Amino acid sequence: MHTTKFTVRAAKRFPSAICRWNSTAVEPPPAGGHLPSIATSQVLRTTRDAALRTPGLSWADEDSSGPSRNIVGGRETRKMNTYQAVRDAMSIALMKDDNAVVFGEDVAFGGVFRCTMGLAEEFGKERVFNTPLTEQGIAGFGIGMALMGHTAIAEIQFADYIYPAFDQLVNEAAKIRYRSGGQYNVGGLTIRTPTMSVGHGGLYHSQSPEGFFMGASGLKVVIPRSPIQAKGLLLGSIRDPNPVIFMEPKILYRSAVEQVPIDDYELPLGKAETLIPGNDLTLLTWGTPVYHCETALHMLSSPSPSMEPLVPTSLRSAKVELIDLRSILPWDVETIVESVNRTGRLVIVHEAGMTAGVGAEISAEVQKRCFLKLNAPVKRVTGWDTPVALQYEKFHIPDAIRVLDALVETLTY
Amino acid sequence: MIRLTAISRQVSRGWAVRGLASSAGHLPNSKSPIVAKLNFFNSVTGSDELIPTYRVLDGVGNPIEGAEIPEINEQYARKLYEHMQLLPTLDNILYSVQRQGKISFYMTAHGEEATIIGSAAALENDDEVLGQYREMGVLLWRGFGLNNVMAQCFGNEEDTSGKGRQMPVHFGSTKHHFHTISSPLATQIPQAAGVAYSLRRTPDRRDRSIAACYFGEGAASEGDFHAGLLLASTIPAPALYIARNNGFAISTPSTEQFYGDGIASRGPGYGIDTVRVDGNDVLAVLGAVREARRRCLEQGRAVLVEAMTYRVGHHSTSDDSFAYRARSEVEDRKRVDNPIARFRLFMESQGWWNAEAEEELKTRLKADVMTAFKRAESLKRAELGELFTDVYGGEQPWNIKEQREELAGLLRKYGEAWEPWKNELKKFKNSGKDLLNQ
Repeated sequence: MHTTKFTVRAAKRFPSAICRWNSTAVEPPPAGGHLPSIATSQVLRTTRDAALRTPGLSWADEDSSGPSRNIVGGRETRKMNTYQAVRDAMSIALMKDDNAVVFGEDVAFGGVFRCTMGLAEEFGKERVFNTPLTEQGIAGFGIGMALMGHTAIAEIQFADYIYPAFDQLVNEAAKIRYRSGGQYNVGGLTIRTPTMSVGHGGLYHSQSPEGFFMGASGLKVVIPRSPIQAKGLLLGSIRDPNPVIFMEPKILYRSAVEQVPIDDYELPLGKAETLIPGNDLTLLTWGTPVYHCETALHMLSSPSPSMEPLVPTSLRSAKVELIDLRSILPWDVETIVESVNRTGRLVIVHEAGMTAGVGAEISAEVQKRCFLKLNAPVKRVTGWDTPVALQYEKFHIPDAIRVLDALVETLTY
Repeated sequence: MIRLTAISRQVSRGWAVRGLASSAGHLPNSKSPIVAKLNFFNSVTGSDELIPTYRVLDGVGNPIEGAEIPEINEQYARKLYEHMQLLPTLDNILYSVQRQGKISFYMTAHGEEATIIGSAAALENDDEVLGQYREMGVLLWRGFGLNNVMAQCFGNEEDTSGKGRQMPVHFGSTKHHFHTISSPLATQIPQAAGVAYSLRRTPDRRDRSIAACYFGEGAASEGDFHAGLLLASTIPAPALYIARNNGFAISTPSTEQFYGDGIASRGPGYGIDTVRVDGNDVLAVLGAVREARRRCLEQGRAVLVEAMTYRVGHHSTSDDSFAYRARSEVEDRKRVDNPIARFRLFMESQGWWNAEAEEELKTRLKADVMTAFKRAESLKRAELGELFTDVYGGEQPWNIKEQREELAGLLRKYGEAWEPWKNELKKFKNSGKDLLNQ
């Protein structure tokens, strides 16, 4: 649903527009050193070699009956931002699967975030098309196609506008396999939707509704953090035998850039990825806050002069394990519990509000499984339990300083 | 049973008019006549003709043959024209202000001035309005004022629409009977049915007030459109639905939005009086909406107006419409079908307007807008603590209270040391001290 939608094109014309409010991205760093931002993040794989060695990557163009290989030679990569990687994944899906279609509001001219640019020209209007402005219709239509064994890749223009489709997704897509005794399923359905805040979106362009779908068994929910992840996880989602809601953090569409393998590959659903290993605390997040967490870790180990008095010296060498959850449903309990049993401390960061957010579910399970190993209560750093207010956004969405504070509090508990 | 009767009344009337009523009787419980001939239909006009468009003035401001000019005098016409001109004056300035990064977002109403001002003028100022987002002109007509417009767009401490919480153009004012704009599309349509039903149940308003609900042709694709019109006709409620058919939902042209004959063709499906009007002819809009409003009150039931117009501007400041439509198409429309020029020519033909008046008006409006803009720009945001107010009425729940405390504690700890917060705090009235010193 559009409405007062802004698109990334505004940011293209005014490169600073989207990042301007993003504290970890653009604010002038305090005297004493530059903080990592999305542009300079070590989490992003900016060389061909690093890209091809992405953990968990499986080439989808290899003979599946053969032994699994991890051969880097002979594979090419191309520099892509996240929207280009999403587009690349859909292009591959359309090329390899004649039954695949891409549709949604404004997708024919390329989509408001440019993720479908050129696809209508390349694959024809029968396969890449605009829909009327109806989210419940888009979801239901996709379910219908998936029921017939087709591959429906639908776009809901903003995650904030997914609620009219809630009935179709929660009561239909999630439950069809179960209610039909396994006769029918909508595994061919993937719903892509831009999510999370950009710093100036207000109530209806900033939401992170992943938690609302967490109780809908039968659905999968995936959130990538970068271009390589977006392509691999989206292809994995499209081919997963279950309906998947694939939420793309909109601030990363342009700001996150990596070398992305040009071939067909997948990344596994349901698996978290450890980005930075450590034994003192587990820092768990997904999507945009991955980068705020990275910044916070930098501030913990080498605080600027103004921050120095606020970060105890004893914590400078703390080894924090940063994990990107990637799949929200089902979530990788094994990786998280293994980590927390090792570190004894868990901080969970997400943009959605605290109450009944995804962090609540994870905290409950972790305290059950790691009770005797925990050295501190599980801490959640989240948006407040209010709507996201435009002029107050910088104090609403968790940023690096709030993550840092949680790290200090939890490490010194 | 009541429903069946209602349907049969409509159906039988239609068939009778076309002379197709049969002697074979009708269905039990219905007056739908039995016929032997298999006959599909796909028209609400009963012919191959599309639903006609009501117009008063032609493209150069002359009344078309047989047109009845709605009752207006010079003073009223001037008021209409001034407000039509105020919209682009505000739009041009706020569009540039957004481009300069001083406000986060903006949406213009270029090309839709006649639809918005004409309909605003046809309503009573205390009719309840539920808008979509491009109806700032209704508020201006009701005397909302430039300072309030600017305060909302700048999200400053004087923003009474939403305390800086919403994106620009999300106005709202109980005083002006203008319900606060919500970004999600079409949600206002079923709400208007409820608002109208409540008016019916309010003794001093039941005979004089209606709910006027605006939406675009794109929003009419949402399930909420169908729900809203269904409710306001079935549970009779004086809701006047005004569809601004401006041809585009962001990039999607109306040809890809629906297959049927516009939005108007749907009205009879819900059994409601419907009219299509030339939305670029302010007198036609004024006349049609006045009559629609009268019917709405008289019948106590929904009425649908489809105003045919053209979105000359981009969807919003985030959109560049030349990615999906030719610049020449837009330029042509501005030239041949300009709602403001059309009415100006009419005014001139009446001896009510001339070049001198035009010059004076444009200079004055621009100066007024610039004064309001400069004032708004200098003001701070509301107090930071407003982040946590208004979530609930009555007592605030513990979690909201604790989170407010938590932010206050973080600000005390890091408000000076963490540059991004330090800089941001200065933008708020009292620089966050309402939280820091609590």
